[in-house]
Amino acid sequence: MPDIVLDKVSKSFTKQTHAVEDLSLVIPDGSFTTLLGPSGCGKTTTLRMIAGLEQPTSGEIIIGDSVVFSGKTGAFVAPAKRDLGLVFQSYALWPHFTVAENITFGLEINSVGKKEINKRLDEIASALRLDSLLERYTSELSGGQQQRVAIARVLIMEPSVLLLDEPLSNLDATLRMEMRAELKRLHRETGATIIYVTHDQLEALTMSSHIALLKSGVLQQFSAPLEIYERPANRFAADFLGSPRINFVDATLDQDSLSWGDVMIQLPKSAKKDVGPRVSLGLRAEELGLSRTCGPGMVEGRVLTVLPTGADWYYQVRVADEVLTIRHNDEIPFNYEDIVYVEIRSKSLKIFDDAGSAIL
Amino acid sequence: MSLTLNRWRFYVTPERVLSVCFIVLLAYLVVVPLFMMVKETFIVHPLERFQIPGSKVNDFTLAHWYRFFISESAYTFFYRPLVNTLIISFGLSFLALLIGGAMAWLVVRTDMPLKETISNWAVVPYILPSWTLALAWISLFKNDRIGGEKGIVSALTGFEPPDWFAYGLFPITITLALHYFPFAFLLIGGALRNIDAQLEESASLVGAGRLAIIRRITIPLIVPSIMAAFLLSFARGLGTFGTPAFLGGPVREFVLSTSLYGNLIGQRPGLGYLAALVMIVIGMLVLYMDHRMVGARKSFVTVAGKGARLGLIELGRWRWALAGFILFFLFSVIVVPLVALAIDTVMLIPGVYSWENLTLHYWIGEASYSIGLGTGEAGILKNPQILSALKNTFSLAFVVAVVTCLMGILVGYAIVKRRGTFISKCLDQISFLPYLIPSIALGATLLAMFAVPRGPIPSLHGSFLLLVIVCSISALPYAVKAGISAMRQIGGELEEAALMAGAGWWTRMRKIIVPIQKSTYFAGMLLPFISVTRELSLVILLVTPTTQLATTISLLFTDRGWYPYTNGIVFILTVVVVGCTVLSRRVMGTSLAKGLGG
Repeated sequence: MPDIVLDKVSKSFTKQTHAVEDLSLVIPDGSFTTLLGPSGCGKTTTLRMIAGLEQPTSGEIIIGDSVVFSGKTGAFVAPAKRDLGLVFQSYALWPHFTVAENITFGLEINSVGKKEINKRLDEIASALRLDSLLERYTSELSGGQQQRVAIARVLIMEPSVLLLDEPLSNLDATLRMEMRAELKRLHRETGATIIYVTHDQLEALTMSSHIALLKSGVLQQFSAPLEIYERPANRFAADFLGSPRINFVDATLDQDSLSWGDVMIQLPKSAKKDVGPRVSLGLRAEELGLSRTCGPGMVEGRVLTVLPTGADWYYQVRVADEVLTIRHNDEIPFNYEDIVYVEIRSKSLKIFDDAGSAIL
Repeated sequence: MSLTLNRWRFYVTPERVLSVCFIVLLAYLVVVPLFMMVKETFIVHPLERFQIPGSKVNDFTLAHWYRFFISESAYTFFYRPLVNTLIISFGLSFLALLIGGAMAWLVVRTDMPLKETISNWAVVPYILPSWTLALAWISLFKNDRIGGEKGIVSALTGFEPPDWFAYGLFPITITLALHYFPFAFLLIGGALRNIDAQLEESASLVGAGRLAIIRRITIPLIVPSIMAAFLLSFARGLGTFGTPAFLGGPVREFVLSTSLYGNLIGQRPGLGYLAALVMIVIGMLVLYMDHRMVGARKSFVTVAGKGARLGLIELGRWRWALAGFILFFLFSVIVVPLVALAIDTVMLIPGVYSWENLTLHYWIGEASYSIGLGTGEAGILKNPQILSALKNTFSLAFVVAVVTCLMGILVGYAIVKRRGTFISKCLDQISFLPYLIPSIALGATLLAMFAVPRGPIPSLHGSFLLLVIVCSISALPYAVKAGISAMRQIGGELEEAALMAGAGWWTRMRKIIVPIQKSTYFAGMLLPFISVTRELSLVILLVTPTTQLATTISLLFTDRGWYPYTNGIVFILTVVVVGCTVLSRRVMGTSLAKGLGG
């Protein structure tokens, strides 16, 4: 089964702007790879180019052994010949077909025998719990059911690559949680490569084995989810992943130490030297600690807001003229207006230069 | 006491009161007349006393039914017109679907150039009075069967078109199809535009070819619109009067609508009402078939997909050829007929096309028995009878536009506010009912109802009010449809927010609902204004010399063979309706397509 290789793929719809620019990726076989980014970042366009619904302006796309698109040779393999299935955001279920007809249409078009069709339909319907819905029209289904039909319709073709375009965005929060687990189970059971498009960073973090983070058509970072979370390649990556949002504070770089107010932090040798002195330091809510008493390496702050979520306590704390969001679950909760002392507990420092790229 | 009063006030909401009032009103104006008309087919009318020996007026009789369906004259009264009607209605609907559907497909799904222009022009044939093309056909292809004058074609080429080509079923079907194809164009075009591109993409992903996609996905998806367009053209064609009267008359080919008219103004009202009844039954049968074929479960709205670019089919070198062909076609069905009509109004002696024969006599001449046709009528712009008819037409159109717009707002409001309740469904159904009644038959039901005084209601026959009633009822389904969709778009919360702020019902309507949707409502007024301006079938049974309309008076002149007057009046109406459409488009950005719900 195939790796999917994108080599310097670009796509522009108008002359001036690129929807996707010089995108190079190797999506490993069997991975659950998420194309993540804000709307308009080119993630859906990338997916559609892999599917063959859109032709790149230049570059090369290789699925397994076959070059499915090449800007140089002009090679183009039709979508249906690429052995992949696509689940659309709107599900794109055919409203004039029943559930069963929707699922079997592809087999029928490819002249698979009646017996075989029915056998596969039975299997897929029971796997996705659609048995009792087969004779319904799609307008009579709930959002979650519609989505299972959309997935069944694709899986029955037994593709080796499954493309999912924001499949959960039309579902309500509870259902979304359920479907996340279900998709992960599906990935394990089918062993298919899944390429998943979403703008929801939490979805990407919880489900993927790999995340390709895109911004304005340009790849920002391609790694495992926790790798991006812990070691973002740039300020954008640090900012886009994680909830609540990461705090940025202004800091000064001096030789091999960093100072934020009175706090001094020693930098490892590997740090880039030719930047600064002004940098920004990214601090996630859980990388900051609070205390009622002052200690070394702490700065004073005042609690602005207390935000309990049930499991966690979040505080907005004003430090000098910056407002930081901090998670703190120890001890007795703080109150509004309390004077607190803030401490940095980062395992890996996220320091970005003026241009926004990480210097570690 | 005050508790009961409060409860009472909570229960008597404006939408409840409106619903009940409208149901009663519409029942009285639509449902009761239907039954009255059925009753008329079973009684002896004053003029029929002598045809049915030994009978008195208002006696119960089966004679009409016998004569219409069984007797040896049934063929002339009923079967022949029925067959003609079915041939014409089916023929024109298929033809209109073919023309409108093909144009819609080219405009929406291909890279044909000049789409905008074509879309704008394609609705014009529907705006023109339906019998404009019939008159133009006569001007162009008239042969010596209807006396003296020659048609333009035969005058120019010397070729005499045969009867089957000049008159009868063939030209009726063609001209009506050319009038009604914009329905198909708008409805099918709208459906094609709304198809989610992903529905086709997902079929192509599993390996369906272009033809398989069109056959299995695209066409089934637009079947509801195809059926709607078919039904609409069929029902309109069924009830139309002018075209078959003009083109069928000379060769004595009758359809149900002309047979209805002939019997009703002749001495056989019983038979006339029976013809109307048959037309209504056919109209309902067609709707029932549509319902069965499309089915409630499969009736779906196609929802536009997320920004997916719909791939346009490349026509290659056929692009310009097709665009040119369509423009030529539109030119032939819009400009050519109008020019032909205009030419005929400035020819002193009809059929003689020379410079010496040029005249403005029929526009501004004094009444004379010796000049030209010697009609004794003053020119159109000086003729008090014609001017008063024009005035009647425009007052009627204006009043009806306002009335239907108000009814659309209020009925739409009542239906949406009480959605899901029995009363709401009931109101929805009853306001849709006139849609199914062919227009001339609708006129017949109201004639049956209001020709004589009933209880406290005096006879309305010959009154302006009756014309307002019939036109408003006929426009009601469209107005209510527009009203419902306008209300749905607003949603309940905007009004409830005003309610919380303490605004009364009247203020809420005036300050919130109407202003937000004013362009929709304006579009909703445009359609009835245009339809009334060019309406003939609906009012032909109800006008009297004092309430003569421009359309009915032109029919009168046609009967006398005074084509220059007829053509001139039609020309004025055309200029007005096209002008209104263009103006409202410029000023308010409204389009007819919106009003039609396409």
